[in-house]
Amino acid sequence: MALPVLICDDSLLARKQVRKSLPESFDADILTASNGLEALTILRSQEIGLVFLDLTMPELDGIGVLEAIKQDGLDCFVIVISADIQPEMQKRVTELGALAFIHKPVNPEKLIVILKHYGLI
Amino acid sequence: MNTVFSEEQRDCLQELINVAMGLASDKLARFLNTFVHLQVPAIELVNSTQIPAQFEAQYSSAEAAFVSQGFLGNGGVRGEAIVLYQLDNAHRISALLGYDTDSASELEMLTDISSILTTTFLNGLAEQIDNQLSYSAPRVLSSRQNNVTQALIDTACHWELALKVDISYQLIDHSFNCDMLLLIPGEAVLNIQQILDRIVEEY
Amino acid sequence: MSNDWLTGPILEQLNSGVLVVDEDFQLVYLNSFLQRHSSVQLTEVKGKSLFQVFADVPEAWLRRKFASVLELQSPSFSSWEQRQYVIKLPHLRPVTSSSQYMAQNCTMLPLHDPTGRRYVCMLIEDATDAFVYQQHLQTTLQKLEQSNRVDGLTQVLNRRYWEEQLKLEVQRAQRYRQPLSLLLFDLDKFKQLNDQYGHLGGDSVLIELTARVRALLRDTDWFGRYGGEEFGIVLTNTALAGAVEVAERICLAVSSKAVTFHEHSIQSSISVGVAQLDTTGDRAHEVLIGQADMALYNAKKEGRNRVISYSAGETAFMVKTV
Repeated sequence: MALPVLICDDSLLARKQVRKSLPESFDADILTASNGLEALTILRSQEIGLVFLDLTMPELDGIGVLEAIKQDGLDCFVIVISADIQPEMQKRVTELGALAFIHKPVNPEKLIVILKHYGLI
Repeated sequence: MNTVFSEEQRDCLQELINVAMGLASDKLARFLNTFVHLQVPAIELVNSTQIPAQFEAQYSSAEAAFVSQGFLGNGGVRGEAIVLYQLDNAHRISALLGYDTDSASELEMLTDISSILTTTFLNGLAEQIDNQLSYSAPRVLSSRQNNVTQALIDTACHWELALKVDISYQLIDHSFNCDMLLLIPGEAVLNIQQILDRIVEEY
Repeated sequence: MSNDWLTGPILEQLNSGVLVVDEDFQLVYLNSFLQRHSSVQLTEVKGKSLFQVFADVPEAWLRRKFASVLELQSPSFSSWEQRQYVIKLPHLRPVTSSSQYMAQNCTMLPLHDPTGRRYVCMLIEDATDAFVYQQHLQTTLQKLEQSNRVDGLTQVLNRRYWEEQLKLEVQRAQRYRQPLSLLLFDLDKFKQLNDQYGHLGGDSVLIELTARVRALLRDTDWFGRYGGEEFGIVLTNTALAGAVEVAERICLAVSSKAVTFHEHSIQSSISVGVAQLDTTGDRAHEVLIGQADMALYNAKKEGRNRVISYSAGETAFMVKTV
């Protein structure tokens, strides 16, 4: 059964990059959101197994989304994909419950390693 | 002027710049040993004749500086990067860079700071488009004794289009703000558009 | 380092310095340009610390520069305009050149070897020509500024610059409520003198009298040529009584001794008008000139070779005659 996946990034290019980096063997049903509020609306209305989340976005940023997921007790895996790659930021998102942190531009091999690690493929 | 870039090209450029900012901030944070707060840089394409007016209000005080550095890459990517900032901001970051007024003049400090900001950022941009840039030595085009607006007018008239990137660096216990302008000549804009199209097609 | 036929010889014949150090600032490479200019042999200094071989380099500054090149993997620059040289080297210009050492533009670049080890390469370009031109330019600009202020014949201030100073001093005196006086003087019967001894004779009298007057003034006074044979002196922090005293000394210094021109002995005198600043407002300096000029006119009228000071009652007279 296909895994419902949400890609949330304000940049179309970035969303495409993530989609293209996913391995063909990964059976996913992909939805997209271009800011944090859109993402939360989707997350609250349907079951999402995995979220690829950007941090710097208009309306509501990635940190805000992580906080809302934690507060609402939503059940999904979050992998943060961000241009802000400083160690302090990585620590912060991990504390907020993110599974992993990938820096932009996305490296497909690294993504596969992470997906395998968490048994998603 | 905004029409010269399609929405897709613009989105692509914005993303490349965001990532470049991230790479630059990470390097700066490691180098300065402090956390650098990254803000999404706003990009704007402006007709170069509009630049002086845009910056006049912000930098009309005598305490502003303006440093220029040329860059040149493969495939006809070239232009001039300009960093504008208030001098008291420069003094704040200079302390972090370990300068003391005895060993370096104010001008030397200004060129160093600008060069570090410009080259780390542009290297991050070049890395993503598989390019390599070389740089000319930074030059202070205006500091306290000269008029920033006039210097901008003199510089801007050589270029058709400018990519304005508002960069704001905030350091954990200091704030440092500056503006960066990438001035790009007409034919280089075409080359950059081709590169953007290639990236958009790839995905 | 230079083992192929193309880049090797070019590097060795390059008219710029190339230096490479490793992360510990140990010298890895110096090209011939640097070896010759600094009189060191690469074979002798390879592996030694840069700061040991070139003891004069600004160590703390250079360490910081190299650290930024290595950490940020981006170039760093140094310009002769801000730092004349990084490594003290002799230059090849004639000895007449005013700078003793080679002015340098330096570029510091990150390098890697195939194993990934990191280095910094420093390119040193000789910018002595630019440095020398810049110095000439500055000297010329200074001379130009000087000649813009000074009267060519008498070497006192010219009218434009003198009037600017008068205006500034008037503003200052008003702000700090200090007295200020003005002397205007005129060489008596200058036309007659020119007719009798020629223009060169007249000129030599002007030169001699300005020299005598200058010797009597303080550094803070402004002495300028106002017209052909008319001169002005701004006496800062001086009230009318003091100004009259100075005027009388000047008058005497001119008339007491003849000027020698070729075989001639030329007797001359001056008439002096004195006024003290007593008005306010933007045009106060013009009013002051008018008042001193008025007193000078009266000194001429009353028989020359004398000092007359302006008194307030004369305003009515001035208004009437205009």
